[in-house]
Amino acid sequence: MSDHFSGPRALSDPAADITDVYAFPAPDSPNHLVLVLDLFGKAGPSAVFSDAVIYRFRIRPLEIGAMGPEAAFAPSQTEFTFDCTFDVPSGRSDSRRPIQHGRCLTPGGRTISFRVDDENGGVDEGVQVFAGQRSDPFFLDVRMIERTVATGKLSFKPKGSDTLYGTNVLAIAIKLEWRKILKGGPLFAIVCETLAAGKQPVRIERVGRPEIKNVTLSWKQFDQINRDLEIRDLYNSEDAFDVKPDYFDAYRVRMNANLAFYDGIDGKIDWPFDRYGNHPLTKLLLADFLVVDASKRFAETSYFEIERSMLAGRTHATPGGRWLNEDFMDFVFTLYVNGGNAPPINDGIDGPIAWSSKTFPYLAPPNPAKAAAA
Amino acid sequence: MTGLSKISAPAVWPAASPPTLTDGTIALLNLQAQIDGLEGHSTTGEATALIDLLILRGLILGRISDYERAAQLADRLVEHADTDAAVYVARARTRAVFHRFTEALDDLDQADRISPQDIAAKRERAAILQALGHYDEALVTYGTVADRAEQFEQAAALAGFWAERGETETAQRSYLESLRSYRGVSPFPLVLLDFQLGLMWMRQERLNEARTCFATAIARVPAYAAAQGHLAEAEADLAEPEVAVARLIPLATSSDDPDYAAQLARILGEMGRNDQASGWCRLAANRYDELIAAHPGAFADHAAEFWLGTGKDPRKGLRLAEFNLRVRKTPRAYDLLAQALEANTAGAASAHCSGAHLPSRAEI
Repeated sequence: MSDHFSGPRALSDPAADITDVYAFPAPDSPNHLVLVLDLFGKAGPSAVFSDAVIYRFRIRPLEIGAMGPEAAFAPSQTEFTFDCTFDVPSGRSDSRRPIQHGRCLTPGGRTISFRVDDENGGVDEGVQVFAGQRSDPFFLDVRMIERTVATGKLSFKPKGSDTLYGTNVLAIAIKLEWRKILKGGPLFAIVCETLAAGKQPVRIERVGRPEIKNVTLSWKQFDQINRDLEIRDLYNSEDAFDVKPDYFDAYRVRMNANLAFYDGIDGKIDWPFDRYGNHPLTKLLLADFLVVDASKRFAETSYFEIERSMLAGRTHATPGGRWLNEDFMDFVFTLYVNGGNAPPINDGIDGPIAWSSKTFPYLAPPNPAKAAAA
Repeated sequence: MTGLSKISAPAVWPAASPPTLTDGTIALLNLQAQIDGLEGHSTTGEATALIDLLILRGLILGRISDYERAAQLADRLVEHADTDAAVYVARARTRAVFHRFTEALDDLDQADRISPQDIAAKRERAAILQALGHYDEALVTYGTVADRAEQFEQAAALAGFWAERGETETAQRSYLESLRSYRGVSPFPLVLLDFQLGLMWMRQERLNEARTCFATAIARVPAYAAAQGHLAEAEADLAEPEVAVARLIPLATSSDDPDYAAQLARILGEMGRNDQASGWCRLAANRYDELIAAHPGAFADHAAEFWLGTGKDPRKGLRLAEFNLRVRKTPRAYDLLAQALEANTAGAASAHCSGAHLPSRAEI
């Protein structure tokens, strides 16, 4: 649930509040790519998808535009979208969940219908779609992250307290035969969005990389330019593939400031700013989409491997993207604080209440209502 | 009225197209899911969110028990996180719900000391000043956050402000601006606005306009109890008492707010169905007494209206109207007191005998 509570506007409609996005080669089928969108963090048993929201997966083939310190991606203008929409529920299932139906419009213009919570989902010509309530695969200790930021010292305990232990999300998982459904590749950029449906859909939120808005952009106190600016709603309203110049510098300055804070926590500088005054990760992180190489075999821990390889001037070896079970908070604190030049940082949480599986629909079944309280 | 020209709506607005909103049934399921998911909350932010959600559900479903729960949570939260401005703002909200305005303002003072630029605290203060009838101060306070507030929130606050003042044209303009600037899909912020506008028309005795507003709110969220209740009131006044009774019976049966039973008793009495009316009247009377004992400031005005009318105890109504005026000196509070004095034969002498110091309406 890395993106939960990512902006005041998203707060007003939990079914439009994206928590996480994942993209990985299917562990059970090398010809398939899997995309997962999680929403509605800490969802109670009655949570359902909104009938007024389009849940959109945007996929663009991309190339590596530059390697080394100037590393950058070059996304194509060609785009493939999957749009999922939902009906108003009618009645209750045996498990007392509201019965809801949905459909997914594929890039080829075909519509796949499915029933929410049905683990088989809907299937059509190389695409399988699941939507329903599942266990939140993300795990972190929010209190210790906040304390770390407040004190400027790593505050994680050997055994932390998982803020999301036993909680559920609404999830949509799409498994697609990428060579058949998409053109180009094998490198793809993935962004998920929620949009208010209508003649001209309006973007409510967008998420690509994990923990950009919360861990990386939200802290205001280190930003010497826009200390009062709640930046996340502005950021949400931007097109991930076409960030307008109006606020770009605000995002850049905020990210530089916050990344510098993290880098300084251990008392040494692992990420000296470049000649333009930017943190070396800023440009890559503001390219806020998951980058996955669909031709590579599934890997458990491959998030950001493509980007790190680019910075080091070498060819990547993994699919990159993001797998459901990856210990992201350990990874990101290690990346930001010591750049991998020192022992990994452990936040004291090493797994969720239930691991995701390697078969469709991948995410673990929802936890019983009492699990979180226990 | 100072500062008004800078923040009120311009003269001409394009018509707002109907916004795309989540179905009201889904919104309510998800409100329940949010509350369930935050039970056993682990952070202060989640606790304040839970308080806000309970207040929202209380507003929509007319559940006083939700307000009471929110107030208990807020008290506990302040004990455990007394250096966080947000917890004082959250408690101020719960206190304002129960019309404990002085204590609510104390909380906001504390929030200001911790975080002087807190927009939520300033907006809450403006709403309380408005509730207290300090309209000029409220308007100035709304103005202080105008630059930093979301456009919708600011327009919505002003729509509510002008609706309460009875400035129908300005309220409508702000209402349209709210609709135009709304970027969310949750129906709740809009139904609260529809309701405010409906109340404005009721006070102006423009019943058809009121009915339209309440019906709009109900179309968006069918379970919105207060809108159902006021729609029934408008229907009864528009000579459709049977429709009103059918609308009120489920509300009066399920809600812990006695307003619906009181309303039902009044309409049934006017229809000559006195046997039925007396049962609902007893139910309302007992519940008002319980609520006045627990939350006197919050229910003094509605209880006074009840005792002056269907409850047929004008002396009790007068005591409550006097108390209500001490809580907040709004035009409505003065009107209620005037009504109470008229209902009691001693008139102004009653006010004098009560020992209350009642400033004249001209002083506000």
